[in-house]
Amino acid sequence: MGYLDNSVVTVDAILTTKGRQLLAQGNFNITQFALADDEIDYTLYNPTHPSGSAYYGQAIENMPLLEAFPQETQVMKYKLITLPRGTAKMPIIGNINAQYNLKQGASIAITPETLNYLGGNTFETSGYTATISDVRLFSTFEGVGINTPQAQALNQTTTLGTSVSKTVVGTTINIRATTINTLFGSNTQLTATLTIEGRDSGAQITIPFVITKI
Amino acid sequence: MSFKRLDPSDFIISADAITAPIWSTLSNPLMLFTTSSGQESGPSGQYYLSVYQTSSTANIAAVQFDIAFGDSNGSGSLAYDYSANIYNSPSSTIFGQYQDILLGDESSLFSFGAFTSSRFIALSFERTRYKESLLPGSLTLTLKNSSNTVNITDNSAQLTTAQFVGSNRVFQLVSGSAGNINTGISSNGYTNGSGSYGWFLPDIGTILLNPYSLVASTANGGIAWTPTINAPSQSTSPSVNSQFFRLLQTCSLNSQETITADYIFIRARNSEFNYSTNPSFISGSTGELTQTSFINNPQTYITTVGLYNDTNELLAVAKLSRPLPKDFTSEALIRVKLDF
Repeated sequence: MGYLDNSVVTVDAILTTKGRQLLAQGNFNITQFALADDEIDYTLYNPTHPSGSAYYGQAIENMPLLEAFPQETQVMKYKLITLPRGTAKMPIIGNINAQYNLKQGASIAITPETLNYLGGNTFETSGYTATISDVRLFSTFEGVGINTPQAQALNQTTTLGTSVSKTVVGTTINIRATTINTLFGSNTQLTATLTIEGRDSGAQITIPFVITKI
Repeated sequence: MSFKRLDPSDFIISADAITAPIWSTLSNPLMLFTTSSGQESGPSGQYYLSVYQTSSTANIAAVQFDIAFGDSNGSGSLAYDYSANIYNSPSSTIFGQYQDILLGDESSLFSFGAFTSSRFIALSFERTRYKESLLPGSLTLTLKNSSNTVNITDNSAQLTTAQFVGSNRVFQLVSGSAGNINTGISSNGYTNGSGSYGWFLPDIGTILLNPYSLVASTANGGIAWTPTINAPSQSTSPSVNSQFFRLLQTCSLNSQETITADYIFIRARNSEFNYSTNPSFISGSTGELTQTSFINNPQTYITTVGLYNDTNELLAVAKLSRPLPKDFTSEALIRVKLDF
């Protein structure tokens, strides 16, 4: 007789919308993973708990978690990252607006930088990944400046028809708002979100993008 | 860095067999059998009779299986054109259909045990019910004629290797229940003089019943069934399918399905994933940590595992049932199951 090994946590995964799309295209190939702490409120962490360190995270560790969402832009929002012990300031994405407003057909180039990384503010050598939540809203969404085969393959991917996300890699992200009127319907504005993540640091930011009909 | 590459050894492919009751009720046995008068009197009714788990007009009604009588000489149903061919009728069409699928020879007859038969009653289960195959050893079919009852199962428990007819696994139907053979009539569970009760064909979701085994007397293992089966020159009413339907009492049967799953082992070493981009981990816009103790002893909680391709596209996601603590003194090993 023996005890069951409970050192391994087993969880069931679901495919995201992007995963189903790539599975249908025969292009489903998992090669890496990331961990996230979506839903965790670290202000609940109490390092002054009178019962000692075992209870510091009590309020967090007992919380119930929501099921996974299949929409890839709604999960893995806050990734865990690997940094040297003693890091006092987290790398954050800078040189970027809190929100972007574009008129129909207008263009913009975004060149992010990373603050508090490698001793200061820097442009990451591996570049940045940029994910737009609804690719239909943009006639141009491309990354430039990184010329690895992987980045080039990703930047040449075409997504048609549906409101799926698109991810590109680059040091600069070129964006042009759509000129197609039918997407607006009776609305005067359309909204998407842009998530930018440093490929070396893991720092990320999500900002709203508003397209105004002219 | 927030991404970590997976090694080939982190992937394991596993195939698990899942079994469940075959019925829409999701439980065994099925005790209520109904038919649709519209289907029975319609064009398809001359070939088969659909059996439901509840009133056929109910919203939740679903076909569980179809009953189809086959006869090599066309008996039991009216010939299509008696003057042209006296043997061509719906029952001979059904016979030829199964002859083609199972025997692959237009002149062979069915051999139930050592008994050769030119007739059968096919129970063809809906594909959505049996999923991939019927589970051998799970069948208990109870048929009743007047006060005579017989329980029928398959003899898979008796065999050490599967028997094949053509490319199909075949088990003989015998007296007994849930794979346990009743040896009261004969040691192999067959009838006396009429062979086995038929064939159990798990891979095509079909049971072929030997009607002669049911016609046999109770002393010989049958239920003394006396169906009316007219020659193709005149119609048989009620149909042989309807006559058999009235024998149905209960049926227990399981489906079997193989689920192929990818297991991916996610390994977070002690020095990895100890900081977070969570806004509540960071104070303000300067990137400072909310808790000063996090500078040397950061504490994070894993709630979500994301699986990515080479180009950082999120393909699959898994949520933990509760947050998993992670710091510089601990490592995490998470097994993610991805079903296809």
